[in-house]
Amino acid sequence: MIEPGVLHIIVPILIVACALLVAILKDLIVAVISLAAMSLLLALEFYLLQAPDVAIAEAGVGAAISAAIYILAIRATKRR
Amino acid sequence: MWLPVAIFLAVCIAIILVRLFLGPTPPDRLVGLDTLNTLVIVSMVILGASFNEVIYIDVAIVYALLSFVTTLFIAKYIEKGGF
Repeated sequence: MIEPGVLHIIVPILIVACALLVAILKDLIVAVISLAAMSLLLALEFYLLQAPDVAIAEAGVGAAISAAIYILAIRATKRR
Repeated sequence: MWLPVAIFLAVCIAIILVRLFLGPTPPDRLVGLDTLNTLVIVSMVILGASFNEVIYIDVAIVYALLSFVTTLFIAKYIEKGGF
């Protein structure tokens, strides 16, 4: 059993950095990649908070479904 | 005993995020995302070993099964052109 106190500082900082990057970037595909990274780190944070069922749900929705639907939506639009 | 390993993996995740921020082209960022997937799965297994719970390893297995779908979709989109 460890004390993951330091990880509770590092991982939310990385989540906030990824979310800021999603808001700042202009390129849509790069924003989707950053959104997938944010979802991944959010699942890791749920895991650190000892909620593995929530982490499984977040993994299924965030990693598989969400980014795929965003890519399908971007593919249906025009790139400039 | 496991805490230095987990902190080192978190530092590795931060370095990969720097590449994700600075990557000049989208394929660079996509490879960075795939490396981030692997690092998060490894840190989940390490934390599950330190928590002494079997159910925590299942989360890592489910994530390893599902995490390639995003990479596959984005790679197929980049392959179709537009860049």
